[in-house]
Amino acid sequence: MAIFLQLLFTGLGIGAIYALVALGFVLLIRAASVVNFAQGQFAMVGAYILVVGVNVLELPYLLSMAIAVVLMAVFGIVFAATTYWPLRHRGGLPVIISTIGASIFLENIVLFLYGPSPEVLPGLFDSPGIQIGEVFMDSQYLSILVAATLLVVLQYLIFEKTLLGKKLQATSQDKEMASLLGIPVAFMILFTFAYSAMLGGIAGMLVAPVLFVSVGMGGLIALKAFAANIIGGYGSIPGAILGGLSLGVAETLGASYISVPYKDAFAFAMLLMFLMVRPQGLFGEKISEKA
Amino acid sequence: MILSRRSVMVGTALAAATPLRFARADDTIKIGGIVPITGPAAEAGKFMQNGAAMALEKINAAGGVLGKKLEWVIEDDATTNPGAVLGFSRLVSRGDCIAYTGSIRSTQVQAISPDVVKAGKPVMFGGTNPGLTQAGNPWLFRCRPNDNYSARVISDYGVNTLKKTKWAIIHSTDAFGTGGKDALVENLGKLGITPVLVQGYTNQQTDFTPVVLAVKQANPDVVSSYFTFENDLGIFARQLRQLGVTAPWVGSPSIINTTALNLAGRALFGTYGIADYTPDASPEATAYATEYVKRYKANPDNQSTWIYDGLLILANAINTAKSSDPQEIRKALIAVKGYKGTEGTYNFDEKGDGLRGYNVVRNENGKIVFDKRIDFKD
Repeated sequence: MAIFLQLLFTGLGIGAIYALVALGFVLLIRAASVVNFAQGQFAMVGAYILVVGVNVLELPYLLSMAIAVVLMAVFGIVFAATTYWPLRHRGGLPVIISTIGASIFLENIVLFLYGPSPEVLPGLFDSPGIQIGEVFMDSQYLSILVAATLLVVLQYLIFEKTLLGKKLQATSQDKEMASLLGIPVAFMILFTFAYSAMLGGIAGMLVAPVLFVSVGMGGLIALKAFAANIIGGYGSIPGAILGGLSLGVAETLGASYISVPYKDAFAFAMLLMFLMVRPQGLFGEKISEKA
Repeated sequence: MILSRRSVMVGTALAAATPLRFARADDTIKIGGIVPITGPAAEAGKFMQNGAAMALEKINAAGGVLGKKLEWVIEDDATTNPGAVLGFSRLVSRGDCIAYTGSIRSTQVQAISPDVVKAGKPVMFGGTNPGLTQAGNPWLFRCRPNDNYSARVISDYGVNTLKKTKWAIIHSTDAFGTGGKDALVENLGKLGITPVLVQGYTNQQTDFTPVVLAVKQANPDVVSSYFTFENDLGIFARQLRQLGVTAPWVGSPSIINTTALNLAGRALFGTYGIADYTPDASPEATAYATEYVKRYKANPDNQSTWIYDGLLILANAINTAKSSDPQEIRKALIAVKGYKGTEGTYNFDEKGDGLRGYNVVRNENGKIVFDKRIDFKD
């Protein structure tokens, strides 16, 4: 039982990271119909900004995080202006290819600017974690879980309870109609890019003390986050969260009880199963509604 | 008219460029090398280039090879097998390299091995999977001791010095990790020990909790490991200690390399490592470390020493052969006996293995302390 609880805790912690990155995916799918394959690299860029703040400039941790979040928002807008905007009338595929290109560019520009040395970031808290019974709760995994919950609540409040959120939803449902109603569609899309880059950046900063900071760290997470997105339901916000968490738990339990070398296979086996049995995912909309 | 004028111009340019290229190609003797410039081993790739730069400087200061300067031309292997194959084929298709250097990663050496046979020129490499030199490829020359020796040293040290009998083996499932695991299981078997746990993992994991819990359940009195990448090793080390496993740990060389020590920090204090290179092992190793620290303000590890030795040995062999003919160079390489390098004393055999021993070191609060060197005759 102790082992099961330990695995469950770790699985939820890793799953929360997948969920945060998946949320960023979903927002862009909804707002701009863009599948952003550079979402994982957003996490990497966020982590590197934090490294510069904490390890190089030696600023306080939380201040560095705040600065990094603001910079990520700016970065999101620059990303949108260069990767999405020029291609926005060309349909989905050119934009997808463009984000794949951006992901390769981002990894290599960071490699070029920062160099190949992986970096160590301290966790948010000095204590390594808490021992409850036989379960060790890593303080960083706890931070990840708390932060993910807060962000999800915040996102719910923004999207459901504010005018800005309603405008964002309207934009994502029907851009033409939204613009006829006087909603600045371009601004809404840029805002979504900024927000999604912030989410990705925060995910990267939270996971950095666990995974170390390296140029390739984003790729490790992004594929799983994309799978989480499909499992949860393409373009569904609660789906991304639940998909991420269940993926994290499934692969951790699968690794422990069935086979460690096939750990990654569990995530993708789950993806395949969903695609075959329930292609709309856990919370997916019926395709007819979308069209 | 315009078209034909343009083609004349192109033709002239080509005609002008071609002899130029050949003239430049004749200036230096070229050795091609694949290097991880991008991908998870990019930092190791930087160390490798540091070591190679030191070797080239030494070779060229002593007059180069065959009366010309030696040049090392490199291609990125992206730390992947397809990248290695592609990089190597680019080097081969240049047509002007008389020999090559490969990777420190066994998996990538295995990937290019068929192309090495086709290229038919010597390749110096650092991967330690024993099978690489034993599969009948006459062109592979290993500049590190292979994992039959690392496994013998790990098992001998753990069983006879540390007096441990309940073994857990953690290994990567790639060519390096699997080869090491097989050799270690075999050597422990000779000492009458069956490990209580043999656990593989795939490279580039986000979390090692399932592996650590497996170790915890098996309750070994010693943990041994073959880790390929330092980030995996770092995550495993931290989680191992967090989840309360305190058994001594004897690791393959990655446990004491510079990147791992930076990443894992305290989690590796008190561990034992099997090192092909360590600064205190020999006067040559010490001299190299002094020079490296002076130049790069960082501690050297095996990521740079094998290529340093490899290029120097290759340059010597080419000079001994007095020819750029691959067969002659190969003969000269096999004839290398008693060459004192940074990794130990090289005696190449027909198969292409140069070294037969490892150092045992301890991590004492982050400082690597040399314990002893164990060399084998066979």
